[in-house]
Amino acid sequence: MQLIVNGLIAGSLAALMAGGLALVYGVLGIFNLALGQLALIGGYGTWWLHASGIPLFPSLIGGMAIGAIFTWLTFEIAVAPFYRRDARIPLVTTIAWSMILDAAILLTLEERPRSILPGGKHFLPFDAVRISVEQIVLIGCTLIFVCVVAWVLHSTPFGRKIRATVQHPDAARSLGISSSLLHRIVFIVSGVLAACGGIYIGIDQNLTPTLAFPVTIKAYAALIAGGKDNFWGTILAAYIIAMLEQLAVGTPWWFGNYVSAGYQSIVALLFIIVVLLIKPTGLFSHRARAA
Amino acid sequence: MPRFYNLPEMPFFFHLITVIAIALPAQLGYTFVFGRGKILHFGPIGVSTVAAYGTFLTLNATGSFLLGLCAGVLMALAFSLLFAWLSFRLDSDGLGIMSIAVYLALFAVVLNWTSLTRGALGLPRIPRVPFADSAMSFALLTTGACVLWTLFFLWLDRTKLARQVSALAEGEWHAKALGISRAGAHIAAFVILGLTLASDNFFYAQYYHLLHPSDYYFPAFVSLLMITVAGKPGSTPGAIIATILLSLLKEGLRFLPFPSAVLGPLRLMLFGIILLAAVWIQRDTLFPKKRTI
Repeated sequence: MQLIVNGLIAGSLAALMAGGLALVYGVLGIFNLALGQLALIGGYGTWWLHASGIPLFPSLIGGMAIGAIFTWLTFEIAVAPFYRRDARIPLVTTIAWSMILDAAILLTLEERPRSILPGGKHFLPFDAVRISVEQIVLIGCTLIFVCVVAWVLHSTPFGRKIRATVQHPDAARSLGISSSLLHRIVFIVSGVLAACGGIYIGIDQNLTPTLAFPVTIKAYAALIAGGKDNFWGTILAAYIIAMLEQLAVGTPWWFGNYVSAGYQSIVALLFIIVVLLIKPTGLFSHRARAA
Repeated sequence: MPRFYNLPEMPFFFHLITVIAIALPAQLGYTFVFGRGKILHFGPIGVSTVAAYGTFLTLNATGSFLLGLCAGVLMALAFSLLFAWLSFRLDSDGLGIMSIAVYLALFAVVLNWTSLTRGALGLPRIPRVPFADSAMSFALLTTGACVLWTLFFLWLDRTKLARQVSALAEGEWHAKALGISRAGAHIAAFVILGLTLASDNFFYAQYYHLLHPSDYYFPAFVSLLMITVAGKPGSTPGAIIATILLSLLKEGLRFLPFPSAVLGPLRLMLFGIILLAAVWIQRDTLFPKKRTI
C-alpha cells in the first residue's frame, strides 16, 4: 500500500511535467530540454518569495508567474528563432539554454537544498500508509491541473484552435488563427506546469540544482513510453513508471534483499527499452492513418 | 638539450598539447556522427564512462594495459551498438532524449556500484604506460595517437561511408532508394565514435592519475556538442580548429581570479552561450533543408 502511495506521489510530479511536454510536442513538434531548469526556477521562485515573508498562496502564484516569464524567455531565445527551420534544432539550443540557467541557479542560489515548507509535513494518523496532508493536496492539485488542461484542449474554442493548428497549420492560419501566438501560449502553459512540478518538489522534498536533468528525462521517458501524440497516454505512462520505480526499490527481490535506491532511475530506462521492443511508437500511440 | 626545454612555461605547454590531443579524436568521432550524420546521439559520455571504467578496472585487476585497453574497447563497442539499435527504433529527437536517459542510467550504475567502482570517490593512482611517464613523453604519445586518428578521419571524409552517412542525413528515404543501408552506415558511424571514445579515455585517466565520475557529468557532453557545432557541423578541419581554440579557452579560464564555486558555473554559462551562438550562426547548415531541383 505504501509503495502505491509513493508511486502516486512520484507519478504526480512526473505527470505534471510530462503533461506539459506532451502538449508542446503535440502542438510544436519540439522537445524542450530546459524544462527541468524551468521547474527549478518555479520552485526556487516560490521558495524565495515565501522565505521573504510573503504568505504561501501568493508565493505559489508568484512562483508560477516567475516560471511563466522564464518559459517565455526560453521560447524567445532558444526556440522561436529555430523551430520553424528544423524541429530538431531546439533540442540543441534548449540544452545550451539549460546550461545557462543551471549556471545562473548555481551562482545565485548555490547547491544548498531549499525547502518551501521547512517546518515539516503534517502526516495523517494512518497505520497502513504514511502520507502527509501536503502530499494529498499535491496529488489532488496535479490531477486538477492535468484535467483542466485536457478540458481546455478538448472542450473549449481555444482548444479547438490548438487542435486545428496541429492538424493543418496553414489552413488554421487562413482561418485567422495566429499559430505563433498559440505556440507561445502552449509553450508557456507547459512551463507553468513545469513550475508547478518545481513547487511540488520544493514542498514534498528539497530543491537542489542537480535535480533538473533527471526530472526532465523522467518526464520524457513517460512521453516516449506513452506515445508522443497521446496526452493521456503520457500521463498514464508517468504513473506506471513511477509505480515501477517504487516497486523496484521497495520490494525484496532475492533472499529478502532490496535493490539500492540509487538504481531507481534505471527502472524508467528498462521500461522504455521493453516498450520499444514491443511497440516502438509508444504504448498508447494512435495508429497513423495512411492513404 | 635545447634551451626551450628549460623554460618554466613548458609543462603548461605540454599540458595544453596533451589536453587537446586527448580530446580531439572523440571530437572528430562526434563530428562524424552528429555533424555529418545529423544523428542526435546525446549519450557519448555514457560510452566514455563505461569504456573508462572497463579499461581501468581491468588494468587494476590484471596489471595489463593491453587487457585494459581491450576491455575498454569492448565495452565501448557494446554500448555503441546499443545506441545504434536505439537509433533504429526511435525517430531522431526521441533518440536524443533516450540517449541522455541511457547515459544517466549508466552513470547511476557507476555511482552506485561502489564495491566495484568506489562510487563518487573514483579510482585513484591510475598508472601511466611505462614508456610515457613524463609530461613530455605522455604529450608525445597522445599527440601520436591524435595524429593517427586525425589522418584516419581526413581519409574517412573521402570514403564511400562518409558519403553514405551524409546522404542518409540529407534524405533518408532517397538514400535508401539508392541502395544505401542505413543500418550498416549508422552502425559503422557509432562504432567509429565508440573507438575514439575508448582511445580518449584510455589516456585521460592516465594523464590525471585518477578516474573520477565528475569528469563524466553532462557538461562534458555539452563541450563535445559545442565544438561540433562551432567548428561547422560535419567538417573535420573545422572540428580540429574549434577543439584547439575552445580547449585553449577552457584551460585559460582557470587563470581567472575567481573561487572554484564561481568559476565552474561561469564556465558552464560561457559554454552555454557559445553553443547557443554557434547554433544561431550555423542555423541554416546544422540541419540543412533537402535539396530540390
